[in-house]
Amino acid sequence: MPKITIDGQTLEVAEGTTILKAAGQAGIHIPHLCYHPAFAPEGSCRLCLVEIEGAAKLELSCSTVVRDGMVVRTQSEKVKEARRSVLEFLLAEHPLDCPICDKAGECKLQDYYEAYGLFPSQFREVKEKRAKLVRIGRNLILDRERCIQCTRCVRFLLEITKTGELGVFQRGIHSEIGIYEGEPVDNNYSGNLAELCPVGAITDLDFRFKTRSWFLNSRPSICPLCSRGCAIAIESHKGLPRVELGQRVYRVKSRENPAVNQYWICDLGRYSYKYLDEARVEHPAQVVNGRKIGLSWDKIFIILSEKIRGLLIRKRTSRLAIVLNSALTNEELFLVKRLFQQELNVSRIIFSDPPDDKGDGLLLTAERTPNRRGALALGFELKGNWEELKKDKIDLLLIFASHLPEAIPLSWLQAEAVNIETKVLFTCRESNLDWLVDFVLPTAPIAEKQGSLTNIDGRVQNFKPALEPWGESWPEWQILVRLAREVPVNFRFFGSLNSIEAIQQSMAGEIPGLISSP
Amino acid sequence: MSQPSLELIKKEIETILPRYPRKEAAILPALHLVQRRLGYITAESEKLVAQVLGVRPVRVREVVTFYTMFSQKPLGKYHLQVCSNLSCTLAGGETVLDYLREKLKIKVGETTADGRFTLTTVECLGACDQAPCLMVNDDLHGRLDKTKIDELLARLE
Amino acid sequence: MSERVISRDFEMAHLFEIGVYLERGGYGAARQALQLKPEEIVEEIKKASLRGRGGAGFPAGLKWSFVPKVDKPKYLCVNADEGEPGTFKDRFIMSHNPHLLIEGIIITSYAVGINLAFIYIRGEYELIAQRLEKAIAEAKEKGFLGKNIFDSGFNLEVVVHRGAGAYICGEETALLESLEGKRGHPRLKPPFPASVGLFQMPTVINNVETIANVPYIIQKGAAWFTGLGLPKDGGTRLFGVSGMVERPGVYELPVGTPLRRIIFDYGGGVKNGRKLKGVIPGGMSAPILLPEEIDVPMDCESVAKIGSMLGSGAIIVIDDQTPILEVLRLVTKFYSHESCGQCTPCRLGTSWINKIVKRIVAGQGRKGDIDQIERLASQIKGRTLCPLGDAAAMPILALVKKFRQELEAQLTH
Repeated sequence: MPKITIDGQTLEVAEGTTILKAAGQAGIHIPHLCYHPAFAPEGSCRLCLVEIEGAAKLELSCSTVVRDGMVVRTQSEKVKEARRSVLEFLLAEHPLDCPICDKAGECKLQDYYEAYGLFPSQFREVKEKRAKLVRIGRNLILDRERCIQCTRCVRFLLEITKTGELGVFQRGIHSEIGIYEGEPVDNNYSGNLAELCPVGAITDLDFRFKTRSWFLNSRPSICPLCSRGCAIAIESHKGLPRVELGQRVYRVKSRENPAVNQYWICDLGRYSYKYLDEARVEHPAQVVNGRKIGLSWDKIFIILSEKIRGLLIRKRTSRLAIVLNSALTNEELFLVKRLFQQELNVSRIIFSDPPDDKGDGLLLTAERTPNRRGALALGFELKGNWEELKKDKIDLLLIFASHLPEAIPLSWLQAEAVNIETKVLFTCRESNLDWLVDFVLPTAPIAEKQGSLTNIDGRVQNFKPALEPWGESWPEWQILVRLAREVPVNFRFFGSLNSIEAIQQSMAGEIPGLISSP
Repeated sequence: MSQPSLELIKKEIETILPRYPRKEAAILPALHLVQRRLGYITAESEKLVAQVLGVRPVRVREVVTFYTMFSQKPLGKYHLQVCSNLSCTLAGGETVLDYLREKLKIKVGETTADGRFTLTTVECLGACDQAPCLMVNDDLHGRLDKTKIDELLARLE
Repeated sequence: MSERVISRDFEMAHLFEIGVYLERGGYGAARQALQLKPEEIVEEIKKASLRGRGGAGFPAGLKWSFVPKVDKPKYLCVNADEGEPGTFKDRFIMSHNPHLLIEGIIITSYAVGINLAFIYIRGEYELIAQRLEKAIAEAKEKGFLGKNIFDSGFNLEVVVHRGAGAYICGEETALLESLEGKRGHPRLKPPFPASVGLFQMPTVINNVETIANVPYIIQKGAAWFTGLGLPKDGGTRLFGVSGMVERPGVYELPVGTPLRRIIFDYGGGVKNGRKLKGVIPGGMSAPILLPEEIDVPMDCESVAKIGSMLGSGAIIVIDDQTPILEVLRLVTKFYSHESCGQCTPCRLGTSWINKIVKRIVAGQGRKGDIDQIERLASQIKGRTLCPLGDAAAMPILALVKKFRQELEAQLTH
């Protein structure tokens, strides 16, 4: 294990570690533009040059491997001057677009200039004029004046998606990134390019001109749209005085998770966030004669607990039927199992999930719900046989639809609704189902609650809320605990479940790999 | 003069492939061949080369635009490439260029209306002992002066 | 008169035909070499102190010995890209005596264990490429190439591969990228081509003139070679003399010949009886020398000691009627045009400097411009991915340092 001294700090690193990585381990950040941990070192930006004792020239830290006894300086005058000059060269031909550039506030050129530059411009020539609105993909715009030729975009498409749509054309100062006409970037990972671009050369049409990055909160969550469980960051507007709100969620970005999605998310996960803000069920309501009448949650719980109590007393809990989906969290599924299956002896529990679609061979799985594995680990058979529900009369049907009301067969409900005494729909999204049920109750999607999900590899991942619940939305776990307490069912057990942590502790042993949220 | 079909060009490229351990390595000879047969690199020929070599067309475009000998526009029958580097300029290369501009009545980068001459400047041709030089297609002409240029142009029909 | 080696028979008509070459004793060295053990050949080349004649001057024997003894295909790439401005010696070798090069390729390939050699020749040398291909066909027909050469069990194929107009492809790793079918973007080193080269396999890259020396070294021995030149820099060099000189041309002279002698005794002195202003000793990438510096012996070490380089041995003579601004203009134009564009300092630095110089040439030079050029060039130097950055920066810095007054006088604002 070679030892390296960086800026006076000595540390031991694994064989084959680069100076850049070793510095990172020592808490020292070496600026870089073309380097990205997902790709082999490129060595073209020259920003990561450092001083190595005994070496005649400055050397690249991104590609130079640590040798035992190496002494490196990242803050010497020579290094500082080299960094300034790289920034000066890049800025010489860079347009002063910051006031209109989407990347402002999260731009590496801005950040590094602030940290290592702060020199006055000495460029007094005529800048190169280039195309500023090149459509290179369905949601990507390339501004060639801003491009610093780091080639991260080109390399991403060659090494990660292996589709290679982008190329470098011309030579020297005229070098430019582009596509072959008729062959735009057209794969399920195109959105990563706008994130990957260190500057505002590649921007996302979805985000273009909508807001400023510093108006947004960025909070971690897990994508619920397939079984991969990619780490994401949901960016929502802070809500500031005198700043027009526009929308709540502005974008979803990827988050690093070496074990699951490395540095990327697919376009499905990136661009499907509108459901968080649009057509949300806001308040609990009773549906009477084609109209929704708002009720308080307290009233709802009184009504529902009365119905369940009635069935309990008459030993008719078999007349309860539950429809679940595998977007529910481990804690929620556990509560359903405990409350309905075990305590109330409900046997008619089915799953209604959207049908499997095609996986893309990278991150997107064929399974399009995030917790099928969690449901299986808890012992649920993921039967979706709606006909089974007709075996006996249903007095109370609870449909947990989460963010997927379209997975519930409308036609079945249309046909059977009249035979079911009370139908309750728990969902976050408005749909035509609303008119076929008696109660529509707002739930919080994954982005707005806490819990854990088990991905396709059996990895249990904890998550916390990235957004405030919309309107009066409740997480399903809170609904279930409250319901259990109000009936009441086993108050000694359910009465102590005041948090996800408490639920997870009581779940211990039920889900392999579940470690409580910190 | 009819243009050879892409089919024929494809067959020619295929004879070059076995010289190399990997197909993609044949991209420069393939493009040289295309330019000799078609006069320049057309979009169709880019796609053809891409297909024969098993790469995406964008990779071919990357190469075509990197190397100065490939032209994406039709070239005149005689491509006059005047050296604009040090030794030739010291020997009067700019006078050669100016004279050609005057005689052909075109600017650098342009082709005469009758399609006979294209005039470009190039970097060192590796014939500095004969400065000032130009190349007409594959042929080098050195020690140029106005007389020699007149004679040369007269020979090129 | 010093001994001519490479160019010995250049004036002979039809030397490029194998019959004539054989009459002159051609392919005798190859026949002899294939009787030796490969390691013996490498040792002899090392002892001969044969330094690369492409520009870098790296000892050839040492380079060959870096190739690992692994069971992988290995390649030889003969660098015939000859793009260094002022250089035209390889044109002479390949036109006059292509078989000498082929013979050198056979010996080199045998010594390193290579069975496929490429001659990467610049596209502008199309007619020379055709001549090489004819010569290769002739050699193959005689059994000097192909399978079981001289009954030694050694096989070798030689492919002529044309470039397409990119100076950067003369840089060895850019040459490899180009040969692999890509843009000529130089690679990071390490790893070096000897271990990871063409198609990731061990590869030797040598200049035409370097390889052309190999047959003679085998025939006459290392001691003879160093005796011609210097102990640490053996043999002769084909010096290409051009610019404002009476007799431009290729002059084959011993390594270590003083520059003054080459210009005045062989080149005929400055043209039209003018005075000498400056000399570029090794191709445009070599920093310019002042008249008081031309007593330097033309060997790698001596020229490096005075802050320039022997490079490709291309001597460009500048007379006192030539404005240095003109030289600077052509230098900055060339490097900005030939920059591959990969790395920041070269791509942007050469272009910025070029823009400043163009403005000065247009009569719009401003006070501080020369300082700016100097500052920018020193920010390119030592910071780039490949040597082209230094090749641009160092000549510019030398011109500014040695002719500052003249350049400052061009600034009108």
